[in-house]
Amino acid sequence: MQGYLTAVGTVGGIYALLALGLNLQYGFTGLINFGVVAFYAVGAYTSALLALRGVPFVLDFAAAAVLAALFAWPLGVMCLRLRDDYLAIVTLAFAEILRTVIVSEEWLTNGTRGIPGIPRPFSGLGAAAGGFAYLALVLAAMLAGVSLTVRLVGSPFGRLIQAIRDDEDAVRSVGKSPARCKLVVFMIGAGLTGLAGALYAHYLTYISPDQFVPLLTFYVWIAVIMGGAGRVGGAIAGAALLTLFLEGSRFLRDVLPFVSEVQMASLRLAAIGLMLILFTLYRPQGLLGRVAR
Amino acid sequence: MPVRKWMLTRRVLGQAGAATALAAVVGRPARADRPYRIGALNPITGAGSTYGSGMQKTILFALEEVKRAGGVDGRPIEVYAEDTQTSPDAAVLAARKLIDANKVDAIIGTWSSSVSLAVLPITNEANCLLLHTSSAPALSTPAQNPKHLAWRFQAASHQIGDAYAAIAAHEKASRAAAMAFNNDVQIASVGFFRSAWEKAGGKLPNPVVYEPNRTSYAAELQQALSEKPDFLVVSGYVPDTSIILREAYEAGNTAKIVIPGWAMGPATVKALGAEVLEGLIVVDAVPDAGSAAFKTFDAAYRAATGNPGSSNIYAAMCYDMVAVLTLAMQKAGPSADNAAIAQVIPEVANPPGQAVSSFAEGRKLLQAGQKINYEGASGPIDFDERGDVTPVFGVSVFHDGKLEQRYLLK
Repeated sequence: MQGYLTAVGTVGGIYALLALGLNLQYGFTGLINFGVVAFYAVGAYTSALLALRGVPFVLDFAAAAVLAALFAWPLGVMCLRLRDDYLAIVTLAFAEILRTVIVSEEWLTNGTRGIPGIPRPFSGLGAAAGGFAYLALVLAAMLAGVSLTVRLVGSPFGRLIQAIRDDEDAVRSVGKSPARCKLVVFMIGAGLTGLAGALYAHYLTYISPDQFVPLLTFYVWIAVIMGGAGRVGGAIAGAALLTLFLEGSRFLRDVLPFVSEVQMASLRLAAIGLMLILFTLYRPQGLLGRVAR
Repeated sequence: MPVRKWMLTRRVLGQAGAATALAAVVGRPARADRPYRIGALNPITGAGSTYGSGMQKTILFALEEVKRAGGVDGRPIEVYAEDTQTSPDAAVLAARKLIDANKVDAIIGTWSSSVSLAVLPITNEANCLLLHTSSAPALSTPAQNPKHLAWRFQAASHQIGDAYAAIAAHEKASRAAAMAFNNDVQIASVGFFRSAWEKAGGKLPNPVVYEPNRTSYAAELQQALSEKPDFLVVSGYVPDTSIILREAYEAGNTAKIVIPGWAMGPATVKALGAEVLEGLIVVDAVPDAGSAAFKTFDAAYRAATGNPGSSNIYAAMCYDMVAVLTLAMQKAGPSADNAAIAQVIPEVANPPGQAVSSFAEGRKLLQAGQKINYEGASGPIDFDERGDVTPVFGVSVFHDGKLEQRYLLK
């Protein structure tokens, strides 16, 4: 059981890091990023490919975050001056384009065959201790993400981005450039997402393009919305709640013995959907909803 | 206002915590004697859902059958079922849950290669067996399968590729061509076809790789037919293959077309008609439809799902997984660990030995101290030294509105 809980904690921590990145973009700045999975994939592939070439882990993780942020730059330059909706369209398309590129560029990514055998930090410590150490690493990354968000949001820059979210025209009228600020936030969020991707790749030790589908983007959106957009704790709470829904439902059959095994699998997904619907109906502002404005 | 919100939050968190605690308690069955636990990890939802529920039902009824036959001596068996959602991340957590919470000793029936590749490091680490139906070559390399705990029940890509080359030779093809659906399995199969065919002295232009979910493949087909081949392998799935076959017919194609058996369903014949399909060559590691194991499986599968057993080759593989695993457990004895069980898998599945087609038969012979050779529902089930099943391919030709088996490739 302990190993399973460690695994759930690790995956939940990675979701939390993703949610922190998106929360910074959407919750605090109002950027609608539907391409979370693209930056996640950039981070995962960057770190995996570097690690397999013998580059130390620290540099792999750093490179994953930096490269994911750099991928965000041209997208931001192109569409952050436009209305919000365009960013949504462009990022969604970008994620699909990137996945197709990963599938096609076999010389680099091994195409649809994916990359097996990615080394994992602490694997020398044995299964249990190594799993714990990796969980600690993920939680440390998550806490770093939290402290970064807290510092950023509390700074004058943080007030500026929240003002952009609330009324962009007002910000422009006092002589600030919303586009530049949005670009910076977009890149920082992408960097956090890339770091999460790297942690994911080394955790799973195998990545392939079919792991980077839009569904993941929407999981992260669910986490942010359920947790409460625009609250630092919201991202963490949302990711925890999502993981609880996804994983807790596995044990449903133990309390519903009259349902057959095969039915349970489909019923489980239906139950997750129902929980999400009920949650958003009765708690639309999220678990830690933004204080009413 | 804020106070009320906080209370609500705490209440929600409390409920969430209670749910986790409940899950933790009910998820851990505590028993003194240690039964052998099997995790059925199948693609019930997602892209593999066409096969997954049939696979899981098969595992359950096959284990029932084992129980009715008296079970494995001194070894009660329990089964836990999970869904991979045909997604590696979901499968990893499901596998962890099976191993850590349910304490399973074997995971059986993972379907897609990406899922098996993601689950394999976990099963290896836990000394857990993994019986799968994936064809990625990497799954049986020494690096990925160092302890020989993973066993492949499906033809590997290189075996399918070699079969295409053997058919090309049999059909006396002079100019071959190939098209592949863009995924790991199909690209690898035509890649191995190409290398086998070129080794035999033939030539093959670059295989044309096509994307899923298109409404027309005319451009790809034109490219594949541009060098006027007389032999064309189309390695894909039912929807895309149907479109390609129709468009090839409309374009007046004369090349012999070869497809894998899984790319043709009952609907294909209905949709395309006999004229379009005339002369089509279908190759598959066909379930040995004459075998006794297949008949037993077929009857039980019909009873469980209402569909014929031949509609789900992966379910037939799952049936064989249960038989092979339980026979190996019987042979290895009640106190054997997984390493010992894995070691005797080839001894119960491969020749020499008396051919058996069910656990019941095999159990009797094993109890009498005889050697056995399990002949399964999905094929003869003989493993090579890497733990890959060596399939027998049946080659059929579509003629006069139906598929006729012409010859076998061994």
